[in-house]
Amino acid sequence: MMRRQVAIVFLAGASFIQLAWTQTAASDPKSWLTFSGNHAGWRYSQLEQINKANIRRVAPKWVFQTGDLGKFETTPLVENGVMYGTGQNGKAFALDARTGKAIWRYNPNLPADTRACCGNVNRGFAIHGDRLFMATLDAHVIALDKRTGNVLWDTTAVDYKLGYSFTVAPLAVKDKIIVGVSGGEFPIRGFVDAYSMDTGKRAWRFYTIPGLGEPGHESWSGDSWKYGGAPAWETGSYDPELNLVYWGTGNPAPSNYGGKREGANLYSNCMLALDADTGKLKWHFQFTPHDLWDYDATQTPILLDAAWQGKPRKLLLQADRNAFFYGLDRETGQFLFAKQFAGQNWAKGIDASGRPIVNPETVPTKEGVTVCPGWAGGVNWNPPSYSPQTNLFYVNAREEFCTIFGGHEETPLAGRYFYGSTFAPPANRKDWGALRALDPLTGDVKWEFKMYSAGWGGVLSTAGGLVFTGDNEGNFMAFDAATGENLWHFQTGSPIFAAPMSYELDGKQYIVIPAGSALLAFGLPE
Amino acid sequence: MEKTVFKQPKRAALWFGIVALAVFLTPSGSNAQEQMPPPVTPDTIDRGHAFFANNCGICHGVDAHNGDKGPDLNTGHFKHADNDADLFRVITHGVPGTIMPANDLPAEQVWAIIAFLRSTVVASRTVTGSNVAGGKAFFWKAGECVDCHMVSGKGGVLGPDLSAIGSLKTIAYLTQKIRDPDKELTTGLREPNADYVVPISNSTVTVTTKEGNQITGIPRNEDTFTIQMIGTDNQLHNFLKKDLQRIDHAQKSLMPAYGEKQLSDADLKNVLAYLSTLKGGRE
Repeated sequence: MMRRQVAIVFLAGASFIQLAWTQTAASDPKSWLTFSGNHAGWRYSQLEQINKANIRRVAPKWVFQTGDLGKFETTPLVENGVMYGTGQNGKAFALDARTGKAIWRYNPNLPADTRACCGNVNRGFAIHGDRLFMATLDAHVIALDKRTGNVLWDTTAVDYKLGYSFTVAPLAVKDKIIVGVSGGEFPIRGFVDAYSMDTGKRAWRFYTIPGLGEPGHESWSGDSWKYGGAPAWETGSYDPELNLVYWGTGNPAPSNYGGKREGANLYSNCMLALDADTGKLKWHFQFTPHDLWDYDATQTPILLDAAWQGKPRKLLLQADRNAFFYGLDRETGQFLFAKQFAGQNWAKGIDASGRPIVNPETVPTKEGVTVCPGWAGGVNWNPPSYSPQTNLFYVNAREEFCTIFGGHEETPLAGRYFYGSTFAPPANRKDWGALRALDPLTGDVKWEFKMYSAGWGGVLSTAGGLVFTGDNEGNFMAFDAATGENLWHFQTGSPIFAAPMSYELDGKQYIVIPAGSALLAFGLPE
Repeated sequence: MEKTVFKQPKRAALWFGIVALAVFLTPSGSNAQEQMPPPVTPDTIDRGHAFFANNCGICHGVDAHNGDKGPDLNTGHFKHADNDADLFRVITHGVPGTIMPANDLPAEQVWAIIAFLRSTVVASRTVTGSNVAGGKAFFWKAGECVDCHMVSGKGGVLGPDLSAIGSLKTIAYLTQKIRDPDKELTTGLREPNADYVVPISNSTVTVTTKEGNQITGIPRNEDTFTIQMIGTDNQLHNFLKKDLQRIDHAQKSLMPAYGEKQLSDADLKNVLAYLSTLKGGRE
């Protein structure tokens, strides 16, 4: 797949800015071959059959049922008429992408005591050749034969009983599979791993907490580095020219008490730039140093080449869980700008070097303090989208979403929860959600659409001039990508915890969203 | 684009908060409706007792009293909670500064435990000098309580079903709810953790249609595009927001306040005595 994806396309947008577009979705835009649709994290489909003019006629074409309960978070992949997805409880499936009929199902015997904090979820496969790659709840990385679902290799990354798990969709880079571990709610030491696609042998590991003698180790007091969390539970992005993998990390543990982990706690809540071949750290940028509010920086970064302040730049953009939108130079890690995109009270601003000016009144106390954004952030993992057609960055923001965090010392016990906190929703606040379109070079909000509550839907943009997302009350919605006008919605019957994708088969475009136990495929009437 | 500005219902805020946390702590995603307390039956209380004994008995005693470490929980008064939402929070999140830990239990088990705890409050059920038959007569006739409340399958649907209210609420709580339905029962009850209090409060909604018709009632569900409610006519009404001029939420109960004019102290005692007999069985 990789060799076909290195095309560079230049686009003249509606605006005066010339955008260099590295890493197209694939040479064949009818497929969907990676978690984000391309390695730049865009979640953008070049298909335009479904567009602003006909979206109101779009209707369900088929529905696939996983048969399992729990949050359904996969982004399915489509290649040569077959759809490959992962379900709840470690399961997976291959479908006829025309009809949704199952070709095979993968039903592993997972141990009952896996340690996923927040549901037995998985966000999808990576694909290469005849192989599918999956990271599992019991902290294995496995390869399946895409034709049969048979296991080709099965590598144990780490002992899940210590609090580790995988929920991430792996990233396929060259001959390797890259994964990041989950478990920031447990006393773990996070890492990003690369495995040989061929053998399953581990090629490299980057510990997100530096060991003895390594730079950054001094940012942890005492033994706190041994169980300081910093997971890496969301799929990163990749720049083939720089050969760098960009991967976000999560909170230091325990999340709401910092008294025993004094220091900046590197590399928690960072964007990491790792050499794809060796895993060596090229640069890092820490969004929320010494985090006390669970502000994971794990959301998939969007890579964009654009003129920033008159100079061509290789940019990395992230709408961070801490409620600020960041622009970095992805060659050097240099901080360029930050702009608030969701309500917050924890920071009085971001200084010229990119460090937050923390509001001391939001430091958790034993009695509890009200902090915004609360435990799920200004946005959670649900991926954003970038459209080269509109030159806008789309993100689902969480508003009036606050938490009373009470922090207290806690003893780390292997495999047991390690929060250091009590948390509760404050009275008299009703959260709400907003799909926002941001200027990628400034973070200015160009439009927003308000939703009834703060949700978990990811975003897809398409060349049909549309943006798709789902809300917490089950509405799957389409918007005019330029204006934010709501053009279409469909009640799926379940809160949506996933991001849409799109593909084309037999000359027909489909838009797909998981909701509840169902994978729903939408298209135009015959 | 929806431009209507909606006043926010507190009850919805409460449930979304709890649901959000429940989603975070439990494997299954679910919506607000699924997380509402399930109906209480004698079976619920038995199961709640079992869950309680297994998870809480080591500190509080298997029957919710005479525990080694935790306080008795059958007195009708909880130090850190006196409504079900508070109890849900205390059970799932613990009490900061104490040894009461957070408990990672499915919501259904937590609600069963709460039902069990409510059923243990024996002492406060006694209403001295009262007349159950008189209370029943008032409830079903003069008081018009059944216009809104259902007991064992008969009555209205606007207010809570009271079939098992005798197992669920203290006399003090019921007295407050009858005399002053809008009073927030949690205010100022707990120190030093008063910030954690999430009061249950009432939610009323009034919608105005494009034609200017107004319908008031209890909101049942709402999303970005629709609202479903039970009107004061005891019927379900479903609306698309695009067909409405406005939606007004109020944190106010539709229950009328029964002061001493409408309900003498003697009659109140009788009504309380009658309500105490309602345990979820057949009349």
